[in-house]
Amino acid sequence: MEKILLKNTDTGNSADINEYVKAGGYRGLSKALGLQPGDIVDEVKKSGLRGRGGAGFPTGMKWSFAIADPKSPKYLVCNADEGEPGTFKDRPILEKNPHLLIEGMVISAYALGSERGYIYLRGEYPRAKEILDRAIDEAREKNFLGDNITGKGIKFDLTVYQGAGAYICGEETTLLESLEGKRGLPRNRPPFPVNTGAWGKPTIVNNVETLSNVPSIIERGGEAYSKIGSKFCPGPKLFSVSGRVEKPGVYELPMGTSLRDIIYAHAGGIKGGKKLKAVFPGGVSTPLLTADSIDCAMDFVSMPKAGSMLGSGAVIVMDESVCMVRVAYRTLKFFEHESCGKCVPCREGTEWLRKILERVEGGRGRNGDIELLSDVAENISGKTFCPLGDAAAGVVAGMLKNFRNEFEEHIKNA
Amino acid sequence: MFNDTVLKEIDDIRARYPERRSALLPSLYIAQKEFGHLSSEALLCVAKTLNLPEADVRGAASFYSMYRHKPLGRHLIQLCTNVSCMLLGSEKLADFISEKFRVEPGGTSADGRFSFVIMECIGACGTAPAMLVDTDFYDNLSEEGIVEILEKYK
Amino acid sequence: MITLTINEKEITLDKPVTVLEAARRAGIKVPTLCHHEALKPYGGCRLCVVEVEKMPRLQTACTLTVADGMVVTTESEAISKVRRGILEFLLINHPLDCPYCDKAGECELQDMVDKYGPTVGRFGEEKRKVPESHKDHILARNMERCIVCTRCVRMCGEVQGASAISIIGRGNRSRMEPFSSAAFDCEYCGNCLTVCPVGAILSRLYIHSFRPWQLDKEVETVCPYCGVGCSLVVQVRDDSIKRVVPRFDLGLNRGLLCSRGRFGYEYISSPERLKTPLVRKNGRLEESTWSEALSLVAEKLGQIKSRDGGTAIAGISSPRCCNEDNYVFQKFMRMTCGTNNIDTVSRTGFASAQKYFEDLLGQGITANMIDGLKNSDVILVLGGDPAAINPVLGLSIREAFRRGAKVLVVGNAKGLERYKTLQVMPEVFREADVLESLLIEIYGARGIRGEKPALDSGIRELSERGCERTGERDFDELRMTLLESVSISIVFGPDLVQRADGHRSLFAVSGLTYLLEARLYLLSEKPNEQGVIDAGCAPDMLPGGRPLSVQEFRRKFEQSWNGAIPSDDGMTLFEMIEGAANGKIKGMYIMGENPVFNLPNGSYIKEALKALDFLAVQDIFLTDTAEIADVVLPAKGWTEKTGTVTNLERRVQLQKKAVETMFGMEDWRIISEVSGRMGYEMNYKEAADVMEEMAKVSPLYRDLTYHEIGKGDCLWPYHGEPLRGEMKTVPEGAAMERDYTEDFYLSVERPLFHSGTLSGKSPALMKIYPEPALRIGTGTAEKGGLKDGDKVQFSTRTGSREAFVSIDDAIRDNRVYFSNNFRGRGALDLMTYNIDKVTKAAGIEGCEVKIKKL
Repeated sequence: MEKILLKNTDTGNSADINEYVKAGGYRGLSKALGLQPGDIVDEVKKSGLRGRGGAGFPTGMKWSFAIADPKSPKYLVCNADEGEPGTFKDRPILEKNPHLLIEGMVISAYALGSERGYIYLRGEYPRAKEILDRAIDEAREKNFLGDNITGKGIKFDLTVYQGAGAYICGEETTLLESLEGKRGLPRNRPPFPVNTGAWGKPTIVNNVETLSNVPSIIERGGEAYSKIGSKFCPGPKLFSVSGRVEKPGVYELPMGTSLRDIIYAHAGGIKGGKKLKAVFPGGVSTPLLTADSIDCAMDFVSMPKAGSMLGSGAVIVMDESVCMVRVAYRTLKFFEHESCGKCVPCREGTEWLRKILERVEGGRGRNGDIELLSDVAENISGKTFCPLGDAAAGVVAGMLKNFRNEFEEHIKNA
Repeated sequence: MFNDTVLKEIDDIRARYPERRSALLPSLYIAQKEFGHLSSEALLCVAKTLNLPEADVRGAASFYSMYRHKPLGRHLIQLCTNVSCMLLGSEKLADFISEKFRVEPGGTSADGRFSFVIMECIGACGTAPAMLVDTDFYDNLSEEGIVEILEKYK
Repeated sequence: MITLTINEKEITLDKPVTVLEAARRAGIKVPTLCHHEALKPYGGCRLCVVEVEKMPRLQTACTLTVADGMVVTTESEAISKVRRGILEFLLINHPLDCPYCDKAGECELQDMVDKYGPTVGRFGEEKRKVPESHKDHILARNMERCIVCTRCVRMCGEVQGASAISIIGRGNRSRMEPFSSAAFDCEYCGNCLTVCPVGAILSRLYIHSFRPWQLDKEVETVCPYCGVGCSLVVQVRDDSIKRVVPRFDLGLNRGLLCSRGRFGYEYISSPERLKTPLVRKNGRLEESTWSEALSLVAEKLGQIKSRDGGTAIAGISSPRCCNEDNYVFQKFMRMTCGTNNIDTVSRTGFASAQKYFEDLLGQGITANMIDGLKNSDVILVLGGDPAAINPVLGLSIREAFRRGAKVLVVGNAKGLERYKTLQVMPEVFREADVLESLLIEIYGARGIRGEKPALDSGIRELSERGCERTGERDFDELRMTLLESVSISIVFGPDLVQRADGHRSLFAVSGLTYLLEARLYLLSEKPNEQGVIDAGCAPDMLPGGRPLSVQEFRRKFEQSWNGAIPSDDGMTLFEMIEGAANGKIKGMYIMGENPVFNLPNGSYIKEALKALDFLAVQDIFLTDTAEIADVVLPAKGWTEKTGTVTNLERRVQLQKKAVETMFGMEDWRIISEVSGRMGYEMNYKEAADVMEEMAKVSPLYRDLTYHEIGKGDCLWPYHGEPLRGEMKTVPEGAAMERDYTEDFYLSVERPLFHSGTLSGKSPALMKIYPEPALRIGTGTAEKGGLKDGDKVQFSTRTGSREAFVSIDDAIRDNRVYFSNNFRGRGALDLMTYNIDKVTKAAGIEGCEVKIKKL
């Protein structure tokens, strides 16, 4: 497949605006500014683009909600807080193709009637911050940003807002709280950000990868774009593959590529020729798949049918040598650390799960621990304020369902 | 209080947001740089500069894990041990760093050379294990590699 | 119309509310921990989960808005299981120290676990350990018990607006911090304490002293501190007050209190209370009997009356006493002593302003509901910090600001630092110039209103005369904002009255109120400043605001009271003081007031009072004034007697008796006793009898009974009508020509934590604010080379004090503030005064101050 998102990123200075323009960059923008904002929204709707952050919500529809809200100003916020363990797909865009994102944001802002945009960048990407800041300056100099974009009287400017180390801020309402300078606690919904978002104003929060698809949708037309990848969720998708594979990395592939192909055909198969044991197909927040269930198409529609989710497309591969109790413990330690503390089941439940797992993993398991783990996970699941608690409970449930024997072994040998 | 250059910098940041409170997180980074860590004095400076309640400033500063509340060593090692890095042995590397450079996770070496923090995912899973030293990024780590890298930080 | 079903009960609502609220209205209780009626929905505890048909997962009732046709179930086996699970989570780290915890018996978590379980804990790991914090004198903080519902943080931020606490840390490391003073601007309102569902925040005033179920009774009453008149509940055991708590369904304060109201109640049980009458013998006050003391007062006043006439007697009554006390007091002065020389210390503030405003704008002009402040577009704050003088009224201003109102502050107002749109700083003592300029400009833009001839012509004359513009920053924006707004409130504090040309400010504010059609709020430092006036404790007014000069009114009262009322206006407060000094006044009766300390130039006041032939003082403490009296009569205080007070909105409220004391007598009873001994019988058996008479003679209170007052919404005028006409011409004033070019000027601090004598005898308030400090703005401190904590001596022409410097960012001019709340160390004694010809208030003078670093 022709690369769209990672086009030309193999060259040394692909982040430079001249390189980007030379390779055809900002053509989408020129075309877009010749269209009416409503036409752009229609193209995006036609393209079938779905949000790449994990939830897969149709982008055009989200935009329409915000446009329908009479309040102004409207804000466009790019979610560049990719914190889901195993996910590093946005990083190559941010570091090697920043102008693609900027171009996507300018077009989107024009479509949405927004004059102010923010890129909420995770604090752990200091290099991306420098690159983006420079790219924004370059774009401003070339009149792709500012008060009179390409001389057409269109206004839009961008600021990079650096997060400071909180996984929960990847959740869009939490991200907005953080952007407002507050502690990162999720907000009640409704009202939704498209109506009452940043500073109480209609706000569209889109993922880096989502926005980076916009220039090519405009350039080639929504119709043509919708032919790429799966029928119900078209387009290219970035998959980040990590763990026990020969060639970990980010792969731009058509949406709907099978998980097996991603692991074996693209990432070179299991490290050292070992046997595959399990995969988190879309980050640790998505249900675990075992070796016999990887013949599924990686898209938003097919993955739930296969018993998991596409998530962020972060494929974490575990081979036969990996201790699943250890993975469970480490994952729960992560969720406990990242729980914001707002709701009781997540705050207290992740701590309890981690404490039991720490014991079991450390050879101090007791009879009844498995039942207790399962019960505590059950008491968290579906009762939390935001999906973080569900994800934590899901890891434990998935592990117990598929690898109960490993837990039993640990307890028996305690 | 902050010097005029810093105040100007914070003023510029404020101008980019409709409400001054949004300048809080960026200002905390600045204060951290100015004071070395977010001491009470640093937090008070931020609160006064932005005319925000000190309690709110503390509340936000303590929520985010990249703000430092204790003095740091000359260099900060941030090693990821989340699942992808763990699968490729980063936990052993953490032990190695602790032993070799005599610095406990969450602590600072006696000679003040290194502070060491275990990080959650830093988005380098494809080239795991990975770490940040100050703001420099290193991946595909091994024990030998770490020794070589850290040699550069005195 | 929205119709939904909750637990098979059909509920119809006209506006969308949360499912929780809908259930509550239908009498269905849904358990909650993080939710609180005074706070916005949070959704943290998840206990209020309910089943909603067609929704896949359980929903939290506190965050879900009702929809037409919704079918909700609030109790089921599945829901109980979830609640049990959540409570189990809460208990894994919550210590099971109920037998030791003071909250036991009124702990929401305990009650909930009792209802939903679990009965057995399955948590086999170590609990989190957090040491109890002993840093604070007032609030005990136990973070192991904290369940992170964040009610306290939200209360402090969203409602109180102090934002003194926050959650620190994240996830299971979350703690509430810091609850300590100074650095974090804790206002010690204790409203966090009210909303804490568990024993995480407790008051040190009562910990380990009783169990909630051991209380003998709870009495709903009204706070004794300021003119807002917050409702509160006094909890009593063994005739001693154990605790003061608010109730969210009670009074105008709706569950909120300030530091004075919540923690200041201990004065009433102070060991320093006066217990027996004192009589001066051989130059010393000695313990005496009631019969000796009462007879002596009657005898001495009787002698003066017959020798020098009633006009040689004067009386000062008290805005701390009830309406009944004050009514009987003025009746005693008029009928028994035969004089209209009756006034109060409120002459220096509230009473002067109130009279002036009513004379020009009509009676009842200041009778505005505090709650209405919240709905203003613009609030103009003048003459003091509302958040300190009347803290709960201050909260309404903060609330208005949060709702988008513009708050315009003239002068310093620390409590509104984060709640103001703009601030105009007049040069020291030039406030009247700024306000006159403002009035002229508003008049220029709006023209005349044509409804009140006196004001119309006064404004026109002022405008023709002109006023020197002083060029303050943001003045134009202030003017523009006022002109652009529809719903304006003006909040007027006492500071501007206390100038020898205070009437200029009063006129300007009258004009602004009139032209802008603003609501006027008059701040009031004492609980009954309005009631004192309404009861007739004024030299020129009978009860109900009836002018004494109108013969018809006088005659009516004479008929009811059965005797003659002197027809000439009496002396005002400072005229009485002058009278005492020059021998015109021979005898004085002071009820519940301490003029020696509470008026400027106390040394002079003291000498004047000492020159009297006879001075009687009745009070609950041996004050500076009582110390120089010939007879001292111990009165009963708040919660020891029943009586009414009238707040600044003119809401008449009942202060109820809650405890029995063996000493002291009600103020009205002491006076009746003296009166009877002087030959004018007053046959009141209880306070209600006095009220009954007041309701008969005063048109303000017509038909009013304690039963009606007890309902809490008796606002002025109760079945009444405006009682006196407006002025035909604006009273002639006098301009003041003076330079103010000194480096520092002394001003009286009005601290949030003190009120004077009462707060000084309240150990809790003394712990919060133990020492008066010299408060200086950052700019002035720099100029004077002063740092926080420097020890200094500061002197005026009349005296000097030593104190530590406290730098305060909120002071934006070259005033230095010192409180008048600590005995022997007051600010007022360092100043002199000059009487405002119009209002007869004391214009404070001699504020030029030199500061020397020690």
